[in-house]
Amino acid sequence: MAESLALPRDTSNPVVSALTVIAVQLAGALFLRQFLLIDDWRLVIGLLLLFGAALVLMERVPSLEARVEAAFARHSRLALLLGIAIVLAFPFVLEGNTYALHLCVISMLYAVLALALNFQLGSANIPNFATGASYGIGAYASALLALNFGVSFWLALPVAAVVATIFGFLLGIPSMRTRDSYLALVTIAFGVVIHQLLNNLEFTGGPNGLVGIPAPELFGHSFASPLVIFGQELPSQANFYYLSALLVLISIVFARRLHDSRVGLAWNALRTDELAARCQGINVTWYKVLAFAVDAFLAGFAGTIYAFYVGFISPDNFTFLVSVTIMTMVIAGGMDNILGVIVGAFLLTLLPEKLRAFSDYRILFFGVTVIVFLMIRPQGLFPQRLRRYGH
Amino acid sequence: MGLTASSPVVLEGENLTMRFGGLVAMAEVAFTLKRGEILGIIGPNGAGKSTLLNIITGIYIPSSGEVRLEGERLNGVPAHKIVARGIARTFQSSRLFGDLSVLDNVIIGRHTHTKAGVFDAIFRRGRAKAELDAAAAHAETLLKSVSRGLHEQRHRPAGELAQADRRRLEIARALATDPKVLLLDEPSSGMDDADTDALMDDIRAVCAQRPDLALMIIEHDMRLVASLPHRVMVLDYGQKLADGPYEEIRKIPRVQEAYLGRKAAQHAGA
Ligand SMILES: Nc1ncnc2c1ncn2[C@@H]1O[C@H](COP(=O)(O)OP(=O)(O)OP(=O)(O)O)[C@@H](O)[C@H]1O
Ligand SMILES: [Mg+2]
Repeated sequence: MAESLALPRDTSNPVVSALTVIAVQLAGALFLRQFLLIDDWRLVIGLLLLFGAALVLMERVPSLEARVEAAFARHSRLALLLGIAIVLAFPFVLEGNTYALHLCVISMLYAVLALALNFQLGSANIPNFATGASYGIGAYASALLALNFGVSFWLALPVAAVVATIFGFLLGIPSMRTRDSYLALVTIAFGVVIHQLLNNLEFTGGPNGLVGIPAPELFGHSFASPLVIFGQELPSQANFYYLSALLVLISIVFARRLHDSRVGLAWNALRTDELAARCQGINVTWYKVLAFAVDAFLAGFAGTIYAFYVGFISPDNFTFLVSVTIMTMVIAGGMDNILGVIVGAFLLTLLPEKLRAFSDYRILFFGVTVIVFLMIRPQGLFPQRLRRYGH
Repeated sequence: MGLTASSPVVLEGENLTMRFGGLVAMAEVAFTLKRGEILGIIGPNGAGKSTLLNIITGIYIPSSGEVRLEGERLNGVPAHKIVARGIARTFQSSRLFGDLSVLDNVIIGRHTHTKAGVFDAIFRRGRAKAELDAAAAHAETLLKSVSRGLHEQRHRPAGELAQADRRRLEIARALATDPKVLLLDEPSSGMDDADTDALMDDIRAVCAQRPDLALMIIEHDMRLVASLPHRVMVLDYGQKLADGPYEEIRKIPRVQEAYLGRKAAQHAGA
């Protein structure tokens, strides 16, 4: 009995479950498209209500959720291929809307940041308020390389990630001796110090930041020019759309592989009980520092893409508030659940944009929406799942 | 069992003293544990029993004295390395990874016998996965040998287990580290008599399969203390009161007064 609870076995017709996968993915893509393209606030509310209703349904009828999950587990290859196809085709159905594409790029960069933080917050329960700072370090490192030494984007990308990782280690070391709230304070202080340094140093451009970061080029194609595919012209944002989509894919692969590995297990162990983890032979200090480094590595990547995408950066792009937003995405989306974290990132990036009609009450409405969703799904939109082995 | 007169000492403590500020939780305690031996530890609440386990496993650093595993000093060795050297333990109030599956709890016990790091997990996935799958298979076998009932529940979150199964899982998780010495802190606490009997059978089975495993069991349940250990050590106010076979130590008046009399009376009354 207990076994069938934890391991939903898909006994239904394979065609039905394959169709389930296709329907769920297409519905998700359609929902996102409509949400991106609509302007009328009544339609925004309507879509949010629809989303809320779907959450209520999932919460009320767990068997439905289990069925969908089992279908995806069974047809994982189909789900992956269709997912990639949808992501590739998506810019073509946005009616050349540059703002919608821009929002997609930003959402995806935040998805990477949220996945990065999830290693710490979700897997290991380390309250790191410095992801925004690592994001900034990546952005500044690559921008400085490009502006001062003419380094190309493609080389700056890994170098900036390494620089951010080194800073991640540096942050990890003082954090080894502290825990919980104190640890949170150390990371907040780190974020503030980085922000202050960026604000006051000469070579980072002070409060004005860095301007004129050149757009990347690939085989002679500049990312600042429109992208032509099969005779279809897409706005220049599409270049960065595909680039960030690739980064999201890489982050998902990283996240999945780490989650399903000995490292992910060790993080989960120290999340629940540090003492018990030590008594199973886990070097708790090392694994915590490792979580800082992995977080900073991915955040550094995201920072580089951001810097080259917008072309100018300033310290105010990487404040404490950015870190808090990333943290909210992980908590609201679902700790230690990759899909949840990504949905959380999209929702929290898009929501404030779509609520512009409420002008002064925008943030209030934003907060209320998130609270309502969390009341429906207290463990986050998509909570943590148990691992499975072998098959 | 594996204990003979010539069995070598695996674990020994000498002069162990532990102060917490002004409080002396342990004063100059010495002990030995031979290969294949089961040592019971009894004593009233606050006697320093758990403190002794915490010193051995590197959670506490003793104010003075030393612990040796097969002749090598353990003082100052961090807790996670002591596990790798062959000392595993359970906790008085069970400390499972409640939000992970039963199987995952045991797989985590294989941590010191697996190697994959971040790089392997990402770039050499096949190798990392094969290693973890092997650990999972090992964990399944171990669970099955410790308790069939537990094995059947292997995909449930550990936090949902009944009290007796939580205790068994803690033992299985500790055994997964392939220890030379296993330390159990009140394994039967919170269990009724039937559960305790079943637990004793399980512990006997574990020892029968591993004749070289040395065991230290802290216990309050006198039925268990009377039948399971080869030898019993009595602690009181951080000092060693007695050390010997149960039949001998139960006769010592100070022991009866300090512990047995009171506890036995309570037990008879319950
Ligand atoms: N970390 C600590 N800090 C301060 N005092 C401690 C600490 N750990 C234990 N003590 C004290 O040391 C003494 C011995 O405690 P210990 O937990 O070893 O007793 P015990 O024999 O295991 O008792 P019980 O049967 O209640 O589990 C107690 O007085 C306890 O309050
Ligand atoms: Mg105790």
